[in-house]
Amino acid sequence: MVKKIIKIIAILAIALTLFYLLNKLLMPKYMTDLVEGSMISQYYNEEKNHEVIFVGDCEVYANFSPMVLYQEQGITSYIRGSSQQMIWQSYYILKETLKYEVPKVVVFNVNSMRYSEPVSEAYNRLTLDKMKWSKEKYDMINASMLENETMASYIFPILRYHDRFDKLTEEDIKYLFREKKNTYQGFLINKEVKPLESIPTVKKLANYKFADIDYEYLQKILDLCKENNIQLLLIKAPSVYPHWYEEYDAQIEEFAQKNSINFVNFLDKVEEIGIDYSKDTYDRGLHLNLTGATKLSKYFSKYLKEKYNLTDYRQNKEVDNIYQEKLKQYNAEIS
Amino acid sequence: MNLVSGIMFLIMLVTAFLYYVVPKKAKPYTLLAISVAFYISLGWQPLMFIIFSTITTYIAGILLEKNAENKTIKKLILGVTIILNGIILVVVKNQIFVKNLIVPMGISYYTFQVMSYNIDIYREKYKAQKNIAKYFLYTMYFPYLSIGPINRYNDITPTLYETNKKFNLTQSYYGLSRILLGIFKKLVVANRVQILVSTISQDPNAYQGAFALFAMLLYSIQLYCDFSGGIDVVIGFSKILQINIIENFNNPYIAESIQDFWRRWHISLSNWFRDYVYIPLGGSRCGKLRTNINVLIVFTLSGLWHGTAYVLWGLLHGIFLIIGKVVKTPSKIINRIVTFLIVSILWSFFIWPDTIQACQMIGSIFTQFNYQALIQNIGNLGLSLANYIVLIISTIAVFFYDAKKSKINEKLKSKSVEIKLILTLSVILVIFVFGVYGIGFNASEFIYNKF
Repeated sequence: MVKKIIKIIAILAIALTLFYLLNKLLMPKYMTDLVEGSMISQYYNEEKNHEVIFVGDCEVYANFSPMVLYQEQGITSYIRGSSQQMIWQSYYILKETLKYEVPKVVVFNVNSMRYSEPVSEAYNRLTLDKMKWSKEKYDMINASMLENETMASYIFPILRYHDRFDKLTEEDIKYLFREKKNTYQGFLINKEVKPLESIPTVKKLANYKFADIDYEYLQKILDLCKENNIQLLLIKAPSVYPHWYEEYDAQIEEFAQKNSINFVNFLDKVEEIGIDYSKDTYDRGLHLNLTGATKLSKYFSKYLKEKYNLTDYRQNKEVDNIYQEKLKQYNAEIS
Repeated sequence: MNLVSGIMFLIMLVTAFLYYVVPKKAKPYTLLAISVAFYISLGWQPLMFIIFSTITTYIAGILLEKNAENKTIKKLILGVTIILNGIILVVVKNQIFVKNLIVPMGISYYTFQVMSYNIDIYREKYKAQKNIAKYFLYTMYFPYLSIGPINRYNDITPTLYETNKKFNLTQSYYGLSRILLGIFKKLVVANRVQILVSTISQDPNAYQGAFALFAMLLYSIQLYCDFSGGIDVVIGFSKILQINIIENFNNPYIAESIQDFWRRWHISLSNWFRDYVYIPLGGSRCGKLRTNINVLIVFTLSGLWHGTAYVLWGLLHGIFLIIGKVVKTPSKIINRIVTFLIVSILWSFFIWPDTIQACQMIGSIFTQFNYQALIQNIGNLGLSLANYIVLIISTIAVFFYDAKKSKINEKLKSKSVEIKLILTLSVILVIFVFGVYGIGFNASEFIYNKF
């Protein structure tokens, strides 16, 4: 009888292991294709000593280079950005980050304030798929799910990705248990140049007011920062479109003033920074390319240094050694 | 509510658990409570219809029994209850005179069940049920409501009302296996075939001739796996509760004639029409002409049961049944192939609900049969090569299992628990990987839900 029970337990254990492996195998690895899907998980492998943490959508991970911030001012930073990151996702990602480290400054890109509901399942997946399991992830899924999504499909990715059985590649085996580094401190390098030729017509909106849910989460982000003695900095990256309306700007300005926090709209500082949209963008003004991000990051490093009491880690040998190694790799890649 | 869904499996699990933990006498009432809750969750409006049908036929049953000696009154009671419930079925289901009405789930199934109950009491086959709660359970037992079969009162109630039951591992294992078979048929085969059928059916101008025939043949597989898969789930779950549900299929595609096909396909419906329409009309006891007219009446009504759009489909089955009595080849295989082709081609009325279009698609097989175009484009119909391979293997597996079911089950009985467990877990993993479900695929509802 005991033998039989042991056999049954062994069979169940093998089946569960197989089920676990199938889940891992079938989930996209986001290593060579759709690398944006691996941005959130790359953070877990990094040392956690950042004084500045960015949260927000593609406007943060494409436009700011933490390596430049370090090179210029010795600022240690990390971008926890992801594609179409909604404000509620930024909140939970920040909350998760605070379990690992407490930065001095949190930079939040306010572009997502324009969205009051989840946009697409694909974007949810890019942000959530590779995030480590925690209460924050669970809450974030609940906040992000579209009507046709289920929590079960996040817990068991096989329910979502089973149809990849005929699309498996070498990458799925190679990166079954490991990851390759796709970003530099969360910055996704893009060297292509696609100049901005014409600005799409600006459509008038029926309502410019940000939704209550956006204010609710912006307040939550602010409260979280206050609780942890973190200074919150609101920014709007210099992406030419989707158009950032003056009415949007005024609302953020008002919120910032009311709460005594800084807000920088880099769209107003394009000339000062020296951004040239005929050279500095890889998709006609939607995101900056490497040269544009470098210019913006240089400018931003000075701003951060002036406004916040940040450490110059270039003077700290232990940290500098790590960063010099990273810079070596970074410079090799961008050259 | 979809039979193959997480919520449904949860309901089944909770039901099975409660069924075996409540006191013996409470078992039927527990099932009734869950069934009522299930029906309420579908909306109050559908609930009212099933309550109406149940109460009217319950009262009619008692009155028929009380007036056993008075044939005129009996006929009147039976006529009123059948006409009343029949009108409701036709009007509600086809939305005649009424629009935007939620068609009550299982209306075709429970209406035929209550009608057969009244007719049988009229024929003094059994006594009327006095306990209204028990009678409600007969009409509302939730697993069958979405897909059938049409249960006869004297078939299902002995085990449905039986209270002296203890959890039985062997029966439960059989039940679970049957549920898994149903899920496999639905998710791995039917839903995969549906991708191909949809691609072809949604663009009738581009896909005609050989494509149309390809869709018809595929639809035969889809409908069988979809419908019999659903029935497998119902039978399997009922087995766990030790409730016997009649088999609704018996390898229909090996039928040697249309007559034979209807003895094997949707058996509960065929038997219903045989016992309550065909035989009362005189069956085959009268002359040839009258017999053939009876056949046509029965098949037209069978088409109507599916909906007004399927009347021609039913009639054509009747016509081919009559022709089949005269025209037959000595070769079993040829008879089987011809029968399968006729049945498949007639499924056109299900694939293209517009009757004219269905006829045009059938016509195109004979006028523009370009098989080369089909071969060239077979990879562009929505399935990859790997999916085609999965489809072919799983279809063969399903039809082979169904053909050899008794032998395979007998062999399995003697196998150890470990072997059974390995087999069960393997099937579950195969379903998880090769099933067609989830986001991007919206056809998880069973085709026969709408009937």
